[in-house]
Amino acid sequence: MIAALLAAALLAAPAAGGVVTPEGLRARYGGIRRLEAEVVQVKEGKHWARPFESRVKLRYTPGRVEWETVAPVQALAVIEGDALYLVGPDGKRRDLGPMAGDPRLEAILRFVRALLSVDLPGIERDFALTYGPGELTATPRPGSQLELFTAVRLRFGADLSIAAVDLETRDEKTHLRFERVEQDPAPAARP
Amino acid sequence: MKRTLLALASMAALALALRGIRLEEDPVHSLAHPDPIRAQVFDRYQAQGLFRDLIFVEAQDLPAADAQALAAGLGEAGYAEAPLFDRPSPETVLRLSPLLPRAEVERLMGEEALGRRAREAASVAMLPGGDAVLEELERDPLGLGPALLVRMAGAPQGGGPAVRAYRSPRPMIYDRVGRLYDLLVRLGPRVHFIGGDFFALENYRAAHHDILVCTVMSLVLNLLLFHLFTGRRVLLGLLLLGSAASYLCGLVAIRAFFGEVFAVVLAYTSTFVGFNTESLVYLSGIDPRRKREAILGVGSALGTTLIGFLLLLAGRTVMIREMAVASLAGLLGFLGFLALYPRLLASVSFRTFRWPGVALSGRWLAALSLAACGVVALAGVPGVATHVDAFRFQTPVLDEQVAHFSSRLDALSLEDVVAIPARGSAEEALAALAAQGLVDPARHPLARLPPRAEQEATLRALSGYGQAVARLAALLEEEGIRIAPAPQLPPGVAPLDGWRYLELLGSLGPLRWTDEVGGQRWLMAGLEPGRAGRDLGAAVAVSPRHHYDALLTTLSRELGLLFLAGLVAMAAFLAVVQRRAVRVLYVFAPLFLAAAAFAVWARLTGSSIHIVHLMGFSLVIAIGTDYTAVTVSGGHGPVERSKVLVAGLSALATFGSLLLARHPVLRELGATVAAGCAISMAFALLVPLRQGAGEGR
Repeated sequence: MIAALLAAALLAAPAAGGVVTPEGLRARYGGIRRLEAEVVQVKEGKHWARPFESRVKLRYTPGRVEWETVAPVQALAVIEGDALYLVGPDGKRRDLGPMAGDPRLEAILRFVRALLSVDLPGIERDFALTYGPGELTATPRPGSQLELFTAVRLRFGADLSIAAVDLETRDEKTHLRFERVEQDPAPAARP
Repeated sequence: MKRTLLALASMAALALALRGIRLEEDPVHSLAHPDPIRAQVFDRYQAQGLFRDLIFVEAQDLPAADAQALAAGLGEAGYAEAPLFDRPSPETVLRLSPLLPRAEVERLMGEEALGRRAREAASVAMLPGGDAVLEELERDPLGLGPALLVRMAGAPQGGGPAVRAYRSPRPMIYDRVGRLYDLLVRLGPRVHFIGGDFFALENYRAAHHDILVCTVMSLVLNLLLFHLFTGRRVLLGLLLLGSAASYLCGLVAIRAFFGEVFAVVLAYTSTFVGFNTESLVYLSGIDPRRKREAILGVGSALGTTLIGFLLLLAGRTVMIREMAVASLAGLLGFLGFLALYPRLLASVSFRTFRWPGVALSGRWLAALSLAACGVVALAGVPGVATHVDAFRFQTPVLDEQVAHFSSRLDALSLEDVVAIPARGSAEEALAALAAQGLVDPARHPLARLPPRAEQEATLRALSGYGQAVARLAALLEEEGIRIAPAPQLPPGVAPLDGWRYLELLGSLGPLRWTDEVGGQRWLMAGLEPGRAGRDLGAAVAVSPRHHYDALLTTLSRELGLLFLAGLVAMAAFLAVVQRRAVRVLYVFAPLFLAAAAFAVWARLTGSSIHIVHLMGFSLVIAIGTDYTAVTVSGGHGPVERSKVLVAGLSALATFGSLLLARHPVLRELGATVAAGCAISMAFALLVPLRQGAGEGR
């Protein structure tokens, strides 16, 4: 009976289970110099004919984020500073013209950069954060450039490694599943 | 005791009535053009203007740590980045599309451009939050908007520093904005910044300093002075309590008539203690045997003071009217307070002093006054001109920022924009200005309006718009992306004439290029450098600096005329009260001397009369003429002279304290009134009217 209750309690616990706190996340991700991950992205919504699944290689350093879609199509988007540009199959940079200077786009890019590196101050600039078991929920602050997002949720593993991110806008849902995450300095090497 | 309790209870009620009064920091907000049409043209231009609820920050080569600190500082102060140009609606983009060259439209609708646009959109859409790009694509599938932006605003500059706009937090929390301001100053010269918030902040800081310093200095000096001449502590209490009552009366009157009080006016109310000392001095220690002369002196003094304040009340600047209302209410409040203590006032005696003087006959007095007028004529009456810099507090830091951004606006021909009433076409109105050498038509947006034939050619090319949109949607569909843009050009897309073009342009950016106000069409144009200050007839300066300079100069001239009218009213009043021309001349004589001294000073320094001088002149005739009025009414008796000495020193202490102010309005006011009162006091004390001279006509 006791074993059955214990089993039920364990099954009822969150899958990830780690206690997410600001201090824990800062200790895990603060001062990060490099993060690389393989990501499976699923997008669905008004603009997608059907749920669109893609495989992505994410490479993060503090000044630069590379978001390389490897399947089903090949595409490389680079966020450098406040700028976004694409790199064509020929390896040449393609700027996005006047749109690149739009503060709304820059706000999105800043957020994406902060999100992918779990940069709490960067996220808090536009979002109010709520910590729950195994997850962190971000709600846009009133008047923020990022009010297009209706909900942002980050899920973490027991060791606070990032497991998944869900983003919702009015017309789109994006689910990112992180696989094979490497970061420098490695979590174990951190004081 | 009962009377004091009654006074305290009344003051508590007045303090309660002050609840909800708002504080306005920037005195420039007190300025509105008296001509409603001109005021509306300016206000509508500003409502859309560059500086409305925005600050601008330009950073160049900023180290990463400083850039981060700047971003954090802006966020903590509540500033959110805003686009310099509003995103045009799809309809506006299409209405402006005839401005694009035909070749550009054909390129945008070509297979290569469509394919590239579809690929890029798909790549960006794969980023988290990428659907924002698809929304944009749906609104403007062919990218006509960015192409128009490049055509109208020029290609993005590669080398120069970028200016970013940030929306101001409302309400503004001065402490937070102050921290950001200090950070921006520290980051200079790699960072330049401008915005109304920074002027408001500097004025806030200056006004708070001035309110504290001037009030404390003025109060302490007056109490010391009063104690020195009367030696009675109870009178100090009377002055202190009465001043609090007059202060509250003044503020309640502002609350009743205006609702908000300018911080500079609050600092100005520190002078009440000086006015009150004067009233207290004149109304106390009246010798019952010489009551008639005393009443004549007090009546003349209070009458001229009231006329001086009423004069300011007729001014058309809200801030000056606030000062007048506060002064009148403060004076009446203090007199009402003194009415509670008639016995105490009667029991006061003043220390008297003796000093030599040069008695003047009526003939010599007239000669002296004529000589002073001659000096004014020789030195020349200074011109009347007021610049906005003299009206509000600015630091060298802000001056530097203004100069920096002015030079950038000047490069865009936007530093000095005027609105001119126009008949006929926009091109004709601009050509008329260009013919006078006032504007360079090549730098006006109308220069970028293509001829009608070119616009028609572009529209013919755009007849393939629907097909191109359908092709782009098909290319995106292949990537699994759906968009549903408007399939055709909306009806009514036609070649643009000058007015329609300027209207549409104004709806996009922060600058309005045309407007209709008062049933009249107006054209906005940037004046060529060096044309500022020229009389442009019906034109309205709509750039803040030039608008306020012109407005303040107009208001100064009006206040100058009011001042002269006040002098006439005061002369008529004194003629009735004093009944002798020579006595009236004696009362006015120090004003002639002061005018001569001012004219010589203005000539030597090349200064002109500005609005604060005129406010000061009104206060000088309100206060300074009291000294001669009291002494001549009392036959230059020792008690009257002693009273004038106390009142004069009190005015010097009070207005001299304003010299410690940071705000230029208060400093200039303090200097003008202190100088005028010093001359009046010295004349009243050292140059008596010869006995018997006042008895003839």
